[in-house]
Amino acid sequence: MPDRLTGVLRGNLDVTGLGALLVVLLAVYAHYDSELFTPASITILSAQFLPLILAAMAQSTVMLAGGIDLSLGSVLALAMAVFAVRAEDGVLLAGVLALAAAVAAGAANGVLVAYAGLPPIIVTLAASFVWGGVTLVVLPKPGGAVPSGLVNAYNNGWNGIALPFVAIALVLVLWKAVRTTRFGLSLYAVGGNEHGAYASGIATRTVKIGTYAFAGVFIGLAGIGLAIQTGSGDATIGAPYTLNSIAASVLAGVSFFGGVGQMRATVLGALLIGLLTNLLLFTGMSPFYQLIVQGVVLIVAITVKTLATRERTD
Amino acid sequence: MIGRFSRAVVATAALGALTAATACGVNSDDKGSSGDAGKSKALKVGWSTIYLTPSWMQQTDKMMKADVDKLKSDGKIGSYQVFNANGDTSQQIAQIRAMIQQKYDVILVDAGSSTALNPALEQAVTAGITVVSFDSLVTSEKVVRVGTDQKEWGRMTGQWLGEKLGGKGKIIAFNGPAGVAVSEERWQGAEEALKKFPGIKIAANVHSEYNLAPAAQAFASAYSASPDIDGVFSQGGALSAAALQTLVKQKKKLVPITGENYNGFLKMWNDNKAKGFSSLSTAQPNYLGVIALRAAVAKAGGATVPSSIMVPLPKITDDNLGEYVKADQPDDSYPIQELPQAEIDKLIGK
Repeated sequence: MPDRLTGVLRGNLDVTGLGALLVVLLAVYAHYDSELFTPASITILSAQFLPLILAAMAQSTVMLAGGIDLSLGSVLALAMAVFAVRAEDGVLLAGVLALAAAVAAGAANGVLVAYAGLPPIIVTLAASFVWGGVTLVVLPKPGGAVPSGLVNAYNNGWNGIALPFVAIALVLVLWKAVRTTRFGLSLYAVGGNEHGAYASGIATRTVKIGTYAFAGVFIGLAGIGLAIQTGSGDATIGAPYTLNSIAASVLAGVSFFGGVGQMRATVLGALLIGLLTNLLLFTGMSPFYQLIVQGVVLIVAITVKTLATRERTD
Repeated sequence: MIGRFSRAVVATAALGALTAATACGVNSDDKGSSGDAGKSKALKVGWSTIYLTPSWMQQTDKMMKADVDKLKSDGKIGSYQVFNANGDTSQQIAQIRAMIQQKYDVILVDAGSSTALNPALEQAVTAGITVVSFDSLVTSEKVVRVGTDQKEWGRMTGQWLGEKLGGKGKIIAFNGPAGVAVSEERWQGAEEALKKFPGIKIAANVHSEYNLAPAAQAFASAYSASPDIDGVFSQGGALSAAALQTLVKQKKKLVPITGENYNGFLKMWNDNKAKGFSSLSTAQPNYLGVIALRAAVAKAGGATVPSSIMVPLPKITDDNLGEYVKADQPDDSYPIQELPQAEIDKLIGK
């Protein structure tokens, strides 16, 4: 029995390690914030972490297929701007438009990567300027409005239910479903070995376009979440999400070379980064030292993770 | 195999311990500093700023810390904590939530977005916290706002440029980053003022960060496209310095350039005044932070404070330039006369 247990744990090394780390962080956090496990805190924290979790999931999706998305922050801001500008004429329509914008932007990135044969890092870097510009056209200065009832329900709970938490759970279910489809399997196959996938009859270009477009769904939802959380749109707010989403994905053990990684671990990775930065706010540490600690913890965590993976391939 | 697995576990545990230890170590420091709070109700004050590293912020930070020390010795402030969001507005929201959670009495905020912080700040107000926004303001009317009129900034300097050029000529508009409220508002004001001079044509509208290096590049390319300009509307000190530096380096005609109290620009202005260079500059005074602090302390103590405190913009002209420029200080500083306490009291309605 213990053998089987360690076997399962070893198979999920990333998830187990991150889970353990998360427990430690939560324990320390609870020490500072005794109300951490109350519904109110959970609602607020999940509202706060939702954009990063979804952004990290989008980044992981692209990375699993062997790509990377440096335009993520710009597309997120675009979705946020579209939603905030249109929200007053009907939240549902605004949400659909915002999602459509993000998916279209993702698909465009995918087409460039698949057909122009350019490295994703270059394509998406260039695309980040394009989408950044489009966002400024949509919303030249911070503004727009989201119905205050929705903002309130989202941030402070709706009949005691943490809406952002539910949203994350639903998105994970969506990923689980997609992961087992032909597209989901092809995504891993293309990331793991593109030539092999092509040789075995997978339309690798279509899969790549599909991957970037599908990541657009997550990015769009992240943008909508951020718009509801802040009650407005702001073209400049998205940028930090690009690098943070990569950090969360790498921390979760998603390989830069594609094909390796678990979405569960990505969610934990994003949570860890969010919780850690939050925790440092409670410590009363000088702001510059906070940045140092944040960086050091990330480096140590990634080193640990690399150590563990290296052993597995010995 | 099990050996390797447990090594990973040990490493993870070590990392966890590191996090915990760092956090706890600092915790004891924090308790130490809040011990001297005094017996009367000493306030727990926090300042969340979108940036802390630019020199303007550093100067503001220093000025505020000095004033906090005064208020601490009066027993009015118990503890003071600065939070740096490092350009990340989402992080700033997290900071405000953390301050609500930790039951701060006063939250000061220099906002990264004029709209995105509103829900968090309004929640703080509902929780009974005194919230004062200064410098880069939020749009919420539930918080006290201490600032300057950014539109007036653009209007005042734009009007001067129009008059200086006698109502006709070609100019380059040199603005801050696109999509940022301060930059957009200053330009709005300038456009209004310049509309009154139909003879003035805008040859190019250039955007740049408020930093010398990117500004110099942005201006150089715009200037090479229209070298026959008669003036520059610039809305930031580093931008003005970049523009003037380009003209001086290329030995071109020193056309009027509007500006700000960025010392590097003031020094260059002073050096080239004899050669006919002229400007009207203004300033985003660092003492906005001090006024915000004083207003918050007064309000938390039960006094009535106006909900919008607009601080007049200083005017730096060819005549009073000498009072501002500081030859012995670095370029990257913002010389300003301190505001007497009586003036501050008047502004916050004491």
